[in-house]
Amino acid sequence: MNKTGIVLIMLIAIVVGTFIATFTGASTSVSFDEAFENPGKEFKISGTLDKTNPVIYNPEEDTELTTFHMIDENNVKREVKLRKAKPNGLEQSEKVHLYGQFENGEFFANEMLMKCPSKYDENNHLLETAEASVQ
Amino acid sequence: MDIVYTGEWTWVARLGQLLIATGFAAALLAVFGYLKGSLGDGNEEWKRFGRKAYWVHVVSFFSVIVLIYILIFNHRYEFQYVWKYMNNGMPTSLQFASFWGGQEGGFLLWMFWHLVLSIFIIRKKGVWEGPVMTFFAAVQASLACMLLGVYFGDYQFGLDPFLLTREAPNNLGLPWTKLADYLTRVPMFEDGQGLNPLLQNYWMVIHPPTLFLGFASTVVPFAFALAGLWKKKYIEWMRPATPWAFFGVMILGTGILMGGAWAYEALSFGGFWAWDPVENSSLVPWILLVGGAHLLMVNRTKVTSVFSALFLIVGAHLLIVYSTFLTKSGILGDTSVHSFVDSGILPQLLVYLLAFAGLATIMMIRSTKERWVYIGVFAILFFVGYFGQAVIPTIIYVALLGFLLIKAYRKDIPKPKVEEELWSREFWIFIGSMVLLAAAIHISFQTSLNVFNKLLEPFEGVFTSLYESTEWPMAKSLADHSFAPNTDYKQSYHIVQVPLAFLFIMLIGFVQWLKYKNTDMKKFVKKISRSLIIAAVLMSVLLLFTEFRASDFPVAALVFACIFAFTSNFDYLISIAKGKWDRSGANIAHIGFSLLILGAVISTSQSEIISQNQIGNIQDLNTDLNNREDMLLMQNDTLQMGDYFISYTDRYVDGIHHKFTVQYFENIPRAYEKDDIVYYGGMVFEAKDDHIASRNFIEQMADNWRRIDFPNERHAKEAIRWSSGTKGDSLFTLEPRIQLNEQMGNAPEPDTRHMLHKDVYTHLKWARLSEPETDEEGFLEGRAHDVHAGDSMIVSNILVTFDDIIALPDSEKAANNIFVDDIALQVRMTLKEKGEEKVINPLWIVRDSQIIPDMVDVDDWGMRVLINRFDPTTQTINLTIWEHESIRRDFIVMQAVIFPQINVLWIGCLIMILGTTLAVRHRIRLARQPKLEE
Repeated sequence: MNKTGIVLIMLIAIVVGTFIATFTGASTSVSFDEAFENPGKEFKISGTLDKTNPVIYNPEEDTELTTFHMIDENNVKREVKLRKAKPNGLEQSEKVHLYGQFENGEFFANEMLMKCPSKYDENNHLLETAEASVQ
Repeated sequence: MDIVYTGEWTWVARLGQLLIATGFAAALLAVFGYLKGSLGDGNEEWKRFGRKAYWVHVVSFFSVIVLIYILIFNHRYEFQYVWKYMNNGMPTSLQFASFWGGQEGGFLLWMFWHLVLSIFIIRKKGVWEGPVMTFFAAVQASLACMLLGVYFGDYQFGLDPFLLTREAPNNLGLPWTKLADYLTRVPMFEDGQGLNPLLQNYWMVIHPPTLFLGFASTVVPFAFALAGLWKKKYIEWMRPATPWAFFGVMILGTGILMGGAWAYEALSFGGFWAWDPVENSSLVPWILLVGGAHLLMVNRTKVTSVFSALFLIVGAHLLIVYSTFLTKSGILGDTSVHSFVDSGILPQLLVYLLAFAGLATIMMIRSTKERWVYIGVFAILFFVGYFGQAVIPTIIYVALLGFLLIKAYRKDIPKPKVEEELWSREFWIFIGSMVLLAAAIHISFQTSLNVFNKLLEPFEGVFTSLYESTEWPMAKSLADHSFAPNTDYKQSYHIVQVPLAFLFIMLIGFVQWLKYKNTDMKKFVKKISRSLIIAAVLMSVLLLFTEFRASDFPVAALVFACIFAFTSNFDYLISIAKGKWDRSGANIAHIGFSLLILGAVISTSQSEIISQNQIGNIQDLNTDLNNREDMLLMQNDTLQMGDYFISYTDRYVDGIHHKFTVQYFENIPRAYEKDDIVYYGGMVFEAKDDHIASRNFIEQMADNWRRIDFPNERHAKEAIRWSSGTKGDSLFTLEPRIQLNEQMGNAPEPDTRHMLHKDVYTHLKWARLSEPETDEEGFLEGRAHDVHAGDSMIVSNILVTFDDIIALPDSEKAANNIFVDDIALQVRMTLKEKGEEKVINPLWIVRDSQIIPDMVDVDDWGMRVLINRFDPTTQTINLTIWEHESIRRDFIVMQAVIFPQINVLWIGCLIMILGTTLAVRHRIRLARQPKLEE
């Protein structure tokens, strides 16, 4: 086997190894119910912020506790306690991904990623006022 | 009936669209002309035709750009693009930058740089102009497609930079679009929206143009590669392409580093690299380009690794297109906070990407007949994909490309007759480029997980049944097709990239000492041993005399590699190149790169969050001090934080920013003597010996302090609160701020103190931006709390302790106007502020199952208290406290991070840019005089 061949085989091995690492490490989104059935185990749960419930952050009491409600992909609504200061843009977020687990019946999130609103939707509300002003 | 709209520059819209169409058509003609002009031995007439058509294309698109700037600077808000990214208030430089605020502008900027670069190619004339420009013009035509903005029924083909807002699809038919004077009547058009405030800084002016020039530069070696394949000149294309490849390395690298600097300076994720898809998709092409450029360089001296060179050079450009696909098509959807919305051009971008990937692969096949066969297969797949389902044909197509590449490698691309020697420079550069390729594949793959999910969609059924029969969990994950990166996002990259970087940087260290063809190993070992030893010494110094502690072995190895690459290249620069720095661009660039990585590794792995909560729920102090990252600062309080004392003193509004002034004072460490008594965390300690306080009590607790479990009176009298030091002189002031941004949510921006050996990076996690609401008497909204007897809490400056909860004895009920049958609880509370004390006793009364509220006003203390409920099982009182706005103290929640030695990173960047510039200059000179010694 010539040297180039060896190098290529090693390259393929590394690449396959990284694929496997990515897949086994990758987390899939689950629902609140599934996480509830496995308390203590960390899951990723995706959903949207429930705007009918307030986002509570009282830094004087606890700088790192933000409480809000989230609706997961099965339309289940649950209260979430995020162990971080209130992330910016939470109220404007379009989608929310939590990494956390159920503890004693409450869901604690250790980490949260948000999808910020797209830049192309903003002019809609201005157009509505445009409509109104011309009526 | 055609409405004439007053004040609208309708003619510009039409002219602009016409120019784009002309430019597109001209590019097609240029392809045709150059193609016919490059067949066989070349045909000057056709080449001239192609050239002329190309110039028409150039002029058309330059005019488009000028036209858009005319619209921008004249505030023509009837144009949707201008309205979105421009407003009257923006400073001139940002108005200039608004051009590339959106996708349309991005494409135009990209095309603009292509035009500029192509002028150099055309002016050079020569035998390569024809074939290279054929492919170049094809790329231009495809990009022009992206801007045609024509509609086939419902389907939009390309974006339209000249779209009038009233002609936008979601506005068609609305009543106001029929008004002739809508421009003056509809308030929306008075001013534009403007660039997202997050983008409004000077980086927006310099980073995108640089980055896009970097993107654009990849097309030149790409076109040369395809030209070489077309004319079957498998080696000769490399020489003219080499300076362009290194130019790309320099410019694209600079652009990417600017992005990192921008993120560090203005964004609050606490770093300069987040492995975000937008970042990754620019980095991957750069990595491939570095590998390809080095292989091209090697081929000057010895023909080797031709296929790899082709693969990497072509790959670099294709991955730029892929990057465009990822970021502009919306396919990344939820996986990036950055991702752009789906503007509807996903199919177009996909076709563009696949078409050029296919073209490049086909060109690798030697036989023309075979090429046509495969083109036929591609066409069939395209039709199936277009009219049917897109995913499966795409997978087959890509698999076919892979198969063709393997075939080309084995049969069609020339290989050297004799294999390279093991210890030859060319072999190890080949290994290096493979390491780079592995790194690029890993990053690409993780970034593209969402694409992978889309590819899995049609197989959902297959995997579900597989899971049902085998219970293999991976099958279920594949069926769900919702893979996402690991929770620990950064770690999932580092775990692969750090070892690969180690390998690669070690190569930077020793490969230059190898000779082409073969090396005398004895001499080689002698030459590198000097730098190896010095590196080992420096590494030991680092470990022994500084606080550097690698988090794990791969990181430590990487640090060593960086040091070695530094010493080795420095050694080479002095001993071999004899200090001729203008010929040693490579060494200087390598020195810069190793410093860059060294700085990045040290500053991130040794970064330290020094803000830990000191005030807050006092109950917490009795438990283990958990890892809190954020500090609450009451206005005018001075707190110790890390090596400083800090005080939040002031706040003010500056334009769209709320700024908060935080002063930093020196922390003069406190000297404790044996037998000193202190309070910490609610417990009393006695000093075991004389010592200087460190930053953190916990660190010294075991060694220097003895806990006193039953403090006596003497202890209680003498004990003072532990502090790590006393406040010294004022050192500096920082103003972290929050940018008001309705669209995206208010954005915190950091303020950083740059010092020689570290940065103190601070940003706000929370601050009050609006006036708090008060009732008519000036009391803020009440807040409820749950407390037990013995608890305490802080309300503004007041320490409130709940001493006792007792049932009110009957004898006292009458005095309080309470009936004997009522249930009455009395909560004894002590308020303490600045040495003053007051006791209050609010009641909780239940009469006939109804709660009688007993609001206690402590007006001169600015407080009101109301007991809401009592839970006998947990002995918990729930009460509401109202603060008067006069006593309320403003506060901020802040995080501060120390980044040690981060200047090494920036210095490395600058040196690397300098080095690559010198290298490009050198390459250009070499290309002109082939006999010049290297």
